[in-house]
Amino acid sequence: MGSFVLVVRLVLADVRRHRAQAAMLLLAVTVATATMALGLSLRGVSEALYEQTRAATAGPDVVALSGDTGPAVTSALASLADDPEVIAHHGPYRIVYADLTTHGSGRSPAVASGVVVHGFAETPGTVNRPLVTSGGWVRPGGAVVERGFAEALGIGVGDRVTIAGRSYLVVGIAVTAATSIYPWAAQIGPYGGPSDSSGLVWLTRSDARTLAGRDLPVTTAMDLKLRDPAAAEAFVEAFSDAHRDPAARVNLHTWQFMATQDTVILRNSQPILVVGSWLLGFLAVTGVAALAAGRAVEQTRRAGLLKAVGATPGLIATVLVTEYLALALVGDAVGLAIARLTVPGIASPTASRIGDAAGPGGATVAAATVLAVTVAVLSTLRPALRAMRTATVTALAAAAHQPRHRPLLTALSALLPTPLLLGLRLTARRPGRAVLQACSTATTVIATVALLTVYSQKERGYGLNGSSVLPNLRGELDRRLMLAVTILLIALAVVNTVTLTWTTAMEARANMAVARTLGATPGQIAAGLSAAQVLPALLGAMAGVPLGIGVCGLFSARNTIMPPVSWMLAAALVTLLVTAAFTALPARLAARRPVARALSAEAA
Amino acid sequence: MQDAVLAMLAKEPSYGYHLRARLRRALGPLGESMNQGQIYVTLARLEKAGFVVCERSDGLPDRADRKVYALTPAGQRRVAAWLAEVGWPKPDLAEFHLKLVAAAAARLADPVELVAAQRRELLRRLREVQQAALAEPEGSAAVLLEGVMLRLRADLRWLAACERAWSSGDAGGATTVGATAGDEDGDEDGDENDEVEGG
Amino acid sequence: MNGSDAVPNPVAGPVAGPVAEIRGLVKEHGQGQGRVRAVDDVDLEVPRGQTLAVMGPSGCGKSTLLHLLGGLERPTRGEVWLAGRRVDTLSERALARLRRRSVGFVFQAFHLMEELTAAENVELPVLLAGRSPREARRRASLLLERVGLAARARHLPSRLSGGQRQRVAIARALANEPPIVLADEPTGNLDTAATLDVLRIFEDLRTAGQTLVIVTHDERVAATADRLVSMRDGMFVDDTRLTGSSSRGLGGLIEWES
Repeated sequence: MGSFVLVVRLVLADVRRHRAQAAMLLLAVTVATATMALGLSLRGVSEALYEQTRAATAGPDVVALSGDTGPAVTSALASLADDPEVIAHHGPYRIVYADLTTHGSGRSPAVASGVVVHGFAETPGTVNRPLVTSGGWVRPGGAVVERGFAEALGIGVGDRVTIAGRSYLVVGIAVTAATSIYPWAAQIGPYGGPSDSSGLVWLTRSDARTLAGRDLPVTTAMDLKLRDPAAAEAFVEAFSDAHRDPAARVNLHTWQFMATQDTVILRNSQPILVVGSWLLGFLAVTGVAALAAGRAVEQTRRAGLLKAVGATPGLIATVLVTEYLALALVGDAVGLAIARLTVPGIASPTASRIGDAAGPGGATVAAATVLAVTVAVLSTLRPALRAMRTATVTALAAAAHQPRHRPLLTALSALLPTPLLLGLRLTARRPGRAVLQACSTATTVIATVALLTVYSQKERGYGLNGSSVLPNLRGELDRRLMLAVTILLIALAVVNTVTLTWTTAMEARANMAVARTLGATPGQIAAGLSAAQVLPALLGAMAGVPLGIGVCGLFSARNTIMPPVSWMLAAALVTLLVTAAFTALPARLAARRPVARALSAEAA
Repeated sequence: MQDAVLAMLAKEPSYGYHLRARLRRALGPLGESMNQGQIYVTLARLEKAGFVVCERSDGLPDRADRKVYALTPAGQRRVAAWLAEVGWPKPDLAEFHLKLVAAAAARLADPVELVAAQRRELLRRLREVQQAALAEPEGSAAVLLEGVMLRLRADLRWLAACERAWSSGDAGGATTVGATAGDEDGDEDGDENDEVEGG
Repeated sequence: MNGSDAVPNPVAGPVAGPVAEIRGLVKEHGQGQGRVRAVDDVDLEVPRGQTLAVMGPSGCGKSTLLHLLGGLERPTRGEVWLAGRRVDTLSERALARLRRRSVGFVFQAFHLMEELTAAENVELPVLLAGRSPREARRRASLLLERVGLAARARHLPSRLSGGQRQRVAIARALANEPPIVLADEPTGNLDTAATLDVLRIFEDLRTAGQTLVIVTHDERVAATADRLVSMRDGMFVDDTRLTGSSSRGLGGLIEWES
């Protein structure tokens, strides 16, 4: 108990003394865990939303879609309805493939899109009762627009739309679980062919019939309720085996299939977020490790003090690790909360589903926590081990850790101009820090390459014939997420660079002051400090381009268009320039310190 | 110096010039000023007092530099007594101190000026000894030079204390400057030496 | 200033007149009420080849004076001339360039770069001055030989004793043959034997005609100089030539009572 109090007291005192470091660890872990939790929750949330929509709209267990009309189809569908497994059905109903044009208003311009028109009864039946979210249900001449579609078109109740040349008043907005989300409402094309992006509109049966009379492609569909909804797959298989009549081909979509289809829109989002969270976690480790390394001497001395008063190595390790662990767990909790709040917006980019997202699942919480703990342990492992291993007396007398002599780099640097000479020697002095800087830069470049890749994809719009009047929601989502992840990564990398430069500058201040007494100008010192970061950053940027291409290749479809190499090289170059710019400020500040004071401080 | 000369003879009987060479070797640069005459005057006095006997070498003219000197039993006793003795030269600071007091009282001179002049003199001496010491190889003479330097440095520190006391303008303080002030000064300066110049 | 790679004679510089000169120099630290005059209206001329010691109690401003002389600090008022150039008006950059060739510093705390060997430490200023690595190596080995550390050229400072480190630092200060060497309490961290080693080097420099300014409060160190300036409260209180024989000479130090 006593040692518990001691640990808590020591941890609190240390956090209070090093607020910036604590804040940075907290921030880094929060960002990383939030991103990871978001990535891992997407699929589950998407499925949960489908389930809720299905419950609210009496969603069918199986939807039978026939690419054709005619007696053969009608009898096939009738035999389905008579199947003993089927306890209720809705339809058959007409699906008409048409074009829809909005009239446009001040806010939203006129747009054209493919549309599938479902002819429904004016009073909904027991299966597939679309939930009206605003306005009312269909009536003659009045159309109800699916919510995801309406949102994309920018229309609401009271607007007019033209379908296949006929004008309809929008009388309601509704959602259904019987089709995939916008823009995949068609599910199959006419005659069983492929379908274009299209939205869903409900009309009365007679209006749909009238529409179908204008030589538009028409298919038939029927919604089925099964005795055992969980056995939908088995039912479909049994039916497919029994009915192999090519004249009356009927496609059966189970509700599970449709739920999975919803996540197609998230196909790229998940890797963006999960890989992004790894990279963010990695940057968090580098940043915090840099800060921790800057405090290693102090930590070692602290450990020596504790040992001197009789603390066991175990207790010392506990104190050191607890601080980081506690902060990381707080960051984890905050990150999970953020993920919980933002996940519905990301998991459901169209408005075709209703419901609330539940919190991240157990597996997600566990994964995010593992990430947080890993960050904490990796950041603190080295100082903790060193503090534990160092003998008490040595630890108490700990001076700044003795840099090793690196003859090769030193000899090499002698050939270079002064700033590079100083920079290379600073790099040689702290090779670990150089590695951190290189990793940090490589991560930034990887993210930038991924961002460029995402942005160079040719997206087919959701408008008529791929027109981008209606934007490709999946592409938009990918770009937005990639941009957000990249911004977070760059922000952490910038913090890392500034931290690393400042730590280096602080540790090297005596040496730099001596260099100034030997005649190095403040400009050369500042340039040297910058060079100490930019040199490893150069290696990192060079490694980052192929690594970025590799990561993108790992997670993207085969037909992915890679951005031009010149873009990627330009990105690496810009990253370097930005790194140089961000090192310049702390370097200049450090170089401006009066020499005499730096030297006296060292002597004291 | 008589005792030292006697003690040098304790090893073996010796010629006067030989004795002088040994003394000069032991004293190093400090012995350079010692001339031939001084050693013979001392030896003559010791002979007269019965501590030393003089044996003339046969067949040689009666010259001082041809005499071999040896200890008598009385001389040997005196050497033994000298070695057992723990007397130590007393640093005579009182005279300079009184010089300052008198100068101040009669307004003959500024005591601070006197101290400064004395300090310059001691520093010059220190410089000479230092240069000799740096040129001297390690050995008995170097140890002697080291001792002389340490004494000079102690005196310089005492002078610094005198300067502080007299420049404060406190006449009463002048009378208290004595042995105690010298002691304190030593400690103070020691502390100062450990301090880091703040710049 | 001296562009050739040849080793110039430290005595014969490019400029005649004093190597260092200060006029009406004032340096104040702090602001408002807490304002302190570290150096209070001081004039000084250091002729070529002179060894000058500055003595005084802690905080008398002697280190500040040295920093001002070497251009490490800027004066509040007054002029500082070094090797014939006025330095208090120079930009930091120009000052640094001047320091490279014209000033060598020796510090109490040695201030060697821990990750560089003795030789590499000495090479550093030569490289900073833009000379070839070959030339830097040549000078480093010459200078380490001169301070008696040729055998330890490849040692890291952590493996050298305090006295050896200071000798490396002196070698480094001499690396560019500066017209003036400034030493701030060079023996402050050293024991007697190491102090003697350093003093031997200073004596050697003095006889070679190197201009040298030493700030110290060790009388022994001051006694190696040709001239001693005493400072108190930022002002000079005494200026003594130590050359020339004392009134009695060395032998006079022994009382000969026959």
